[in-house]
Amino acid sequence: MTTAVTARRRSGRSAGPPSAKRASLRLLAHQVRYEQLSFWRNPQSAVFTFIFPVVFVVIMGALFGGVGKSSYFGGLSALQYYVPTIAALSVLGSCYGQLAVALAARRQAGTLKRIRATPLPAWTYFAGLLAHCVLVSVIDIALIVGVGRLYGVPFPSHWLAIMLTLVLGAASFCALGVAVASVISNAEAAPAVAQLVLFPLMFISGTYLPIQSALLNRIAGWLPVRPFNEALTGPFARHAGADWRDLAVLAAWGAVGAVVAVRRFRWDPRPE
Amino acid sequence: MRTQVNAVEVSGLRKSYGRVPAVRDVGFTVGYGEIVALLGPNGAGKTTTLEILEGFRTRDGGTAEVLGYDPGERSSARELRERTGLVLQDIAVEPYLTVRETIARAAGYYRAPRGVAEVIGLVGLTGLERRKVRSLSGGQKRRLDLALGLIGNPALLYLDEPTTGFDPAARRDAWQLVRELRTDGMTILLTTHDMEEAQALADRVVLLSGGVVIAAGEPAALGGRDAERARISFRLPAGYTAADLPVPSHSVPSHSVLSYGANGMVVVETGAPTQALHQLTDWAIRHGHVLAGLTVERPSLEDVYLDLTREGAPARAPERNTR
Repeated sequence: MTTAVTARRRSGRSAGPPSAKRASLRLLAHQVRYEQLSFWRNPQSAVFTFIFPVVFVVIMGALFGGVGKSSYFGGLSALQYYVPTIAALSVLGSCYGQLAVALAARRQAGTLKRIRATPLPAWTYFAGLLAHCVLVSVIDIALIVGVGRLYGVPFPSHWLAIMLTLVLGAASFCALGVAVASVISNAEAAPAVAQLVLFPLMFISGTYLPIQSALLNRIAGWLPVRPFNEALTGPFARHAGADWRDLAVLAAWGAVGAVVAVRRFRWDPRPE
Repeated sequence: MRTQVNAVEVSGLRKSYGRVPAVRDVGFTVGYGEIVALLGPNGAGKTTTLEILEGFRTRDGGTAEVLGYDPGERSSARELRERTGLVLQDIAVEPYLTVRETIARAAGYYRAPRGVAEVIGLVGLTGLERRKVRSLSGGQKRRLDLALGLIGNPALLYLDEPTTGFDPAARRDAWQLVRELRTDGMTILLTTHDMEEAQALADRVVLLSGGVVIAAGEPAALGGRDAERARISFRLPAGYTAADLPVPSHSVPSHSVLSYGANGMVVVETGAPTQALHQLTDWAIRHGHVLAGLTVERPSLEDVYLDLTREGAPARAPERNTR
């Protein structure tokens, strides 16, 4: 297997620029494959990433399964409200949360430094992480939608808008996750800091309960979580297309995260 | 690019962390195919020097050239990484991948890697290919680290304390491997605390202390130890004092000095060990005694190291070994 990989890479380089692009795509695929392998082999990360959102939907279903359409849930049934917000929560967890914690831990362990010592380009490493996070998010959302169906929530019909929102959200929250990992210096503090930022934000953004305060909704509307909840709830339950304003806010936060990440990211465990 | 004689050329290297100088003035060269060891106490600047050469840190001053490239230039970074291998102090491997997967993943990053099976064989992990990394022993993980350093088939290999945590047999094996790699033409720059390792492996050692080079040369000649006086030590036979010994005789051109060492041992330092030993053993046989615990030794590399790096030791002029 390996010799085949080697031979392919060699011939890929020698054939000139068009296949140089193909070689870097192959390198990206190689990277995604091993990110997947590390992820699925680690029972802890796999269980937490997939079991937690599913359990959450089951609990919400048990609590509110019988609550039909109400103004409290913005004209939706309780589960119609919770399926997209829990889907958003799972994307936050597997992009922002996982990445902030995993990158801080990998830096502290020296894994990042070791990667940096190889010719693997930085963009390939991060693109590999993003692709991995999108993949995990897709599985998460499929599971949540499946469990929601058991409680009578119809399958969403606007898949294109959902995919667009999902990819943009995953990219933005990955960038924010890398940004948080960039500003935290030790791995022990990473989970606490990541949660400290996320938990109140999710609370005021209506992840756990619908927010009835117009002022709070307006404030949260400029922060990253509520726009993502809204942008998913639209195509999930209201049969609307993409919510461009929400997506723009989300993208802006992603850009902020990316700038911080690019400027502050360190591969080396010891500060300069 | 001009023709390179040396794989690594460093001169006047400086680096401070804030106000704390880590490297004040470091200069040395590593010829192609040579094994050079950076020695020195903790905080001497070994790791900082290595990290500047590896491209992980910027330098404040001085020049550095690795395989003809400036390690501080971002444009040459990828090419340098393609041609250099690293074995770092920390064991940094994904715990849930197998040995084979870990090495195959790294192999995919290089233009022309060595074969995965070949490298597994080289570092002595054959038979453990399917083992998860987390179940490996500390020594096995370090061998895996070494495999990751070698997989790209580098021209220059950096080894940062490569055999820490190895048992004596594994350490011998690792040394043998390093020598074989050198025979194949690889250039190796290593750091170590282990004088035996420096002695066994290095063609030349560079001794750092307080961020400067305080001595450099072949391990056998470092600090002039090949010209140092020998020490003969033994236990005095019962009923005799040092004054009874024939050694401080003025008839012998030895300038011998006699002193008492630990555990009632007598130590004779001499520039003429052959004569001194003959006199001592002759005296003992004539009086019908044995010289218990008799040893003859020259200062070890460790003695020279401790002497040179001792706090407040007089700074000696760096000795350049001419070969």
